[in-house]
Amino acid sequence: MSIRCFARAALAATALLAAGAALAAPKVVAGPGADPQCFKPWEASTTHLQWPAKTGPYRVALVNGFVGNTWRIQMIQTAKAYVEKPDIKPLIKDFKVVSTGTDAAAQLGAIEDFINQGFDAIVTIAVSPTGFDRVIRAANRANVVLVPFDNVLDTKEVMQVNEDQLEMGRMHGRWLVENVGKSGALLEVRGIAGNSVDRDRHIGFREVVEAPGTSFKIVEVVGNWDDGAAQKAVADALAVHGKFDGLYVQGGTTGAVRALMDAGHPLVPVSGEAENGFRKLIAEHKDKGLKGLSVGQSPGMVAVAIKAALSALQGHPMPQLISMPIPSESYKTLEAGKNFWPELTDNFFTANAFPACGVDISGIEIMAQTKEDRK
Amino acid sequence: MTRGLRAALSRNLGLLLAVGLFAALYGLYSAQHPRGGSAALLVQNSNESFALILAAMAQTVPVLTGGLDLSVGPLMTLVNCLASRVLSGGPVELAFGILACLAAGTLGGLVNGCLVVYGRMQPIIATLATGAVYIGIALFLRPTPGGAVNADLSAMLTYDLAETAAVLGVFDGGQAAWFQPFAPIPVPLLLVLAVLLFVWVPFRGTEMGRGCYAVGSSEGSAYLSGIDVDRSRLAAYTLAGLFAAMAGLYLALQTGTGNADAPQAGAYTLNSIAAVVIGGTSLFGGSGGVVGSLFGALVLRSISFNFRVFDEASWLGALADPLLQPLFEGMVLLIAVSLGAARALRIRNRLQLFG
Repeated sequence: MSIRCFARAALAATALLAAGAALAAPKVVAGPGADPQCFKPWEASTTHLQWPAKTGPYRVALVNGFVGNTWRIQMIQTAKAYVEKPDIKPLIKDFKVVSTGTDAAAQLGAIEDFINQGFDAIVTIAVSPTGFDRVIRAANRANVVLVPFDNVLDTKEVMQVNEDQLEMGRMHGRWLVENVGKSGALLEVRGIAGNSVDRDRHIGFREVVEAPGTSFKIVEVVGNWDDGAAQKAVADALAVHGKFDGLYVQGGTTGAVRALMDAGHPLVPVSGEAENGFRKLIAEHKDKGLKGLSVGQSPGMVAVAIKAALSALQGHPMPQLISMPIPSESYKTLEAGKNFWPELTDNFFTANAFPACGVDISGIEIMAQTKEDRK
Repeated sequence: MTRGLRAALSRNLGLLLAVGLFAALYGLYSAQHPRGGSAALLVQNSNESFALILAAMAQTVPVLTGGLDLSVGPLMTLVNCLASRVLSGGPVELAFGILACLAAGTLGGLVNGCLVVYGRMQPIIATLATGAVYIGIALFLRPTPGGAVNADLSAMLTYDLAETAAVLGVFDGGQAAWFQPFAPIPVPLLLVLAVLLFVWVPFRGTEMGRGCYAVGSSEGSAYLSGIDVDRSRLAAYTLAGLFAAMAGLYLALQTGTGNADAPQAGAYTLNSIAAVVIGGTSLFGGSGGVVGSLFGALVLRSISFNFRVFDEASWLGALADPLLQPLFEGMVLLIAVSLGAARALRIRNRLQLFG
């Protein structure tokens, strides 16, 4: 814009300030933040934010995007179970959940609505990594703590919570190198193309298995994080390439392992997601060679996002980007009733707890919540 | 009641139903909202409804001719992505950017019209195909979400008049005393009125506009009456393109970015059809109008507004269960549509509906 227009905008901003709509915003402060065991800064250079302390109990809203897969449903149930916990309940006056679908305008509207209703904190899974400047401004103006998690925003202006997808890919790679050796044939089953999560996990994985000193032949197929799609992709890959020494499956691992078994392929190490079905299969077949690593993007992250919001409302300095510990279990650590549930369905996500954060909502607890809602 | 009044009432029953439903739902929401009826809430509500209102208007015109436009959402997404590329720079660039966006949408609509009229394709098939093409172009323009729309333009058009005056630096930056009564009026509200008054009303009055209704009522009769059927159809799809462009443009202003989001495009198309039906426009064509669709879109939005304010402890609390929200949204939709259609079951001849 021309200088004149810029001057006008500056004038407008001053006018707004004068009118009393003072722009509040979290202060950027020096670390360390509160509870660093749980709220781990993403990297050393991550800044810390601090909001003015408010007295509780607080009103908190969860603005979900679309609802329609197990992960999201489990996430909502976890959130509802978490705010009922004895140590959290006294801090919360009101907890509301809405699902707005895939429409950005509706999600922005819902967030703005909760700001207008006077909520203190809003946690959200953004439908798009951009386009939220408007609500960030509105939240800052009203001193509302906005916490995107899982699908986070491309901005440094809000506090966000996620697992490091790059590191997750590296973990899978390291484990396969440990269990397969430094050479052989690997099958990589990727997620939904074009998604940043798929991209980052892939890059992390390749970093390890293509490092100097290793010589893997890697075949790449797309499984869309879906059991059906992964099963078909693996079956096709087995038909074409014959034999693999290890598998890395981003999601839909239960289907991928089934394809392996159906083809009569010898059971080899499989590194995959945290689906209950995958863990059931590992437990059942680990003696026959199905070594497995099960690492998950946890729906329990919502509880950490809520906890982070509460901590920020109490005035503690918080990292701008919080890196969640990545929950992982291997064939050696699996234990029925603790980190997998033989009696529950396959597509239930087992990794739900974050002990470092005091989030210990198990699968059973969530299923109970579901039953209660169904009556 | 005079015969004329009764005829007018029965012609507009769908519209009245939508207005009533909207008043009830929005009233319920406002009553429960701690800031119900406040200017800030009005700005927020009109903002989140505006894109859907325009999409519903876009859908209405082809439906009036007895067609359907499945490319409303995709075309809107395309313009959204284009806007995120061109809406930057000085006032002149911005003006050209806006024109380019509107032109792109209108062109998209014209292509739809040509396929339907000259290609003699079923509207559903033609627009399903072009919809896929438009999403493809949108993805080409914005492979990943992003872009930066001019913040001043965005602030000017997506808040209230006070903000507009402040950005433009007129009326003492919006502080002038005489201006205060007008200051809290949401800009999107004025934009809707402007679109109705300066686009829809003039179009409806033209031969082409009346032709759209005639073609939808009875194509054969319209042809025999000397109406240029092809031209009316072409105009209907082109106008739909223009409305879709406005919707996409507004979404870009609101989010400040472009996002070639296919599921979102699909949601807008489906919701636009639902809004048209709730608004009393017949899917067979020939009766209804964009004002009804406007309220249809508002009804749709008001349903979801209510989920945000229901107190879980009250008797309405069961409705607020996050996992059941889509179910209740669908049920209210079904009831609204059935109410409109119920009349058709009781009559022997559809002509009776028109008094």
